Amino acid sequence: MTGDLASLSHAPTRPGSASAEAPAIEAIDLVRIYHTHVGVIRRRPLDVEAVRGVTFDVRPGELFGLLGPNGAGKTTTIKMLITLLLPTSGSARVMGFDVVRETTEVRRRIGYVFGGDRGLYDRVSGLDNLRYFAELYGVDPRQRDRRIAALLELVGLTGREKEKVEGYSRGMRQRLHIARGLLHDPEVIFMDEPSIGLDPIGARELRQTVRSLVDAGKTVLLTTHYMFEADALCDRIAVINDGHIVASGTGSDLKSAVLNRTIVEIETFGVAPEAIDRLRRDPEVIAVNTEERDQSQILLIQSERGPEITQRLLGSLGDTRVGKVVAREPTLEDAYVHLIASTSSTDGADRAAALG
Amino acid sequence: MSAGRTLRLIGYVTWFNVRMLLVSEFFVLLTFISPLIFATLAFFLFRLGHGGSGQTLLYAALGSGMMGVWSTTLFGCGGAIAWQRWEGTLELLVNAPTRYDFILAGQTFGAVIFGFYGIVTTIVWGMVLFGMPLQATFPLVLPLSLFAAVISLGALGMLIATLFVLYRHANALGNLLEYPIWLVAGLLVPLTRLPDWIQPVSWVLAPTWGMEAIRGATLGDAPPWLAIGMCVVLAGAYYVLARVVLVYVLDKARRDASLALR
Ligand SMILES: Nc1ncnc2c1ncn2[C@@H]1O[C@H](COP(=O)(O)OP(=O)(O)OP(=O)(O)O)[C@@H](O)[C@H]1O
Ligand SMILES: [Mg+2]
Repeated sequence: MTGDLASLSHAPTRPGSASAEAPAIEAIDLVRIYHTHVGVIRRRPLDVEAVRGVTFDVRPGELFGLLGPNGAGKTTTIKMLITLLLPTSGSARVMGFDVVRETTEVRRRIGYVFGGDRGLYDRVSGLDNLRYFAELYGVDPRQRDRRIAALLELVGLTGREKEKVEGYSRGMRQRLHIARGLLHDPEVIFMDEPSIGLDPIGARELRQTVRSLVDAGKTVLLTTHYMFEADALCDRIAVINDGHIVASGTGSDLKSAVLNRTIVEIETFGVAPEAIDRLRRDPEVIAVNTEERDQSQILLIQSERGPEITQRLLGSLGDTRVGKVVAREPTLEDAYVHLIASTSSTDGADRAAALG
Repeated sequence: MSAGRTLRLIGYVTWFNVRMLLVSEFFVLLTFISPLIFATLAFFLFRLGHGGSGQTLLYAALGSGMMGVWSTTLFGCGGAIAWQRWEGTLELLVNAPTRYDFILAGQTFGAVIFGFYGIVTTIVWGMVLFGMPLQATFPLVLPLSLFAAVISLGALGMLIATLFVLYRHANALGNLLEYPIWLVAGLLVPLTRLPDWIQPVSWVLAPTWGMEAIRGATLGDAPPWLAIGMCVVLAGAYYVLARVVLVYVLDKARRDASLALR
């Protein structure tokens, strides 16, 4: 996935120009409540608060990551920004245009790429898909074919474009989605989990492509579940959980929250909940998270003490069968797990404020 | 957007959707095979009844073809929006900077024009197997008649498409609309044979006047100006209604998050 994107752009946003002062994306206290029903026979109304007051802005030419677990409100936030959903309250602007009232102006300037299999016409070729959307996006007919050729080159689909999309692999579909989202040379690109379902090499190529978009002056907002991906790519990251932004900043800003800690990883076989509770009550333990494996559970124990605490921790586990034990420095993944665990509604959403 | 660009857009979307239907087994069956079956039945029945003059055969062939057009319109347009929702493309279409009613128009015209392919195959079938003559009393009016029929059915298709999203149950109801319209629009039995109270219903249906316009130009004694005019008037009325419903539907979709299938 390489190619000269600068040549694809009519008017890249120049950093330092007048527009650089105004944010490319501006969300102010966005709230979205879904009104749904539960039950089939006796339908009871249910309100889901998907986004509960999200505020952030993205500067022109910036690559901004929205990071959070399933159901955090990432897609809902994006859909409000791209005019597909009305906010329940709050407001947002994209390139200075209001996403509720100035929809056409916003739509002209944005590209939308989502991950997954859907959103393409399977029974025709990739080229047919692109030509169709070029028409809908108002691409100048005289430039259409040249532009499509350049985009195919960019996403690495040149030579495969005449094949039917139903025969495409996941990765190829994902690249086609990206080419589609860039057809009208949008200034701001929204990508909702673009790397979902890609193999490691595909995901790395995707990151290069995204990076090259930013190098060409585009503003990109992307969502992901993966901390390392956000950290490798993004200029700034906002972590969203339960509809709130619980932390934001650069990758190292987020990491600093867990900087002085030690992570002790203990592999256990059939650990009892009481044993975990005992660990949690230890005054020198800050957090305990568990990861289920096939046969075992990995306990991730954060503490402000050094590796010397390991013996004591093992003691607290009593006669639990223990496998591998590792004491190490925290990674970004730990920072993320910590942020999410400490802000989930189950263990007290009020800590979110303290962190945010 | 300039008028030229708009026309190009609608034309392109129409063409694209004709191609999409051509690769769908369901629509190929609905549009090409079922009219042939109806026409064959009709040819045999007419032969038994009237000794089967060339005129009655052509009358029946056009009627059978139009039945296929109506089925394709009903299912092709009724499902147009729901189907895009399934494919996950509806959000992309709505989110394009282009007016969505133009895109929808292209989709429904695609279905209608695809349906008209069925008339052609029915006529060829009649000529080859039953020795049906190909004739038109007003050959120069015929293209106008066809055009009028296409735009009125296309606009009706838009209205159907929007109503079907508004009422999700409408799809089931829509199935019930297939056969009655064949009758009420006079596709096989002349309208004059139907009870008087049905006539006003026939008058507001595009297939009635579309059929009248086409039969008038091929078999009639006078050019079917009234039918052509009615097609145009109805097309306008359907379009206006469809737009009102569409604006409402799209607005509601942004409020209720119903564009995407979850
Ligand atoms: N159309 C809808 N109707 C009702 N509830 C919805 C709807 N869309 C989303 N939700 C709910 O809103 C919350 C946020 O969903 P959203 O899709 O924004 O999360 P997400 O961060 O994108 O998650 P994922 O990582 O799984 O994609 C979830 O609880 C979800 O169940
Ligand atoms: Mg999502």
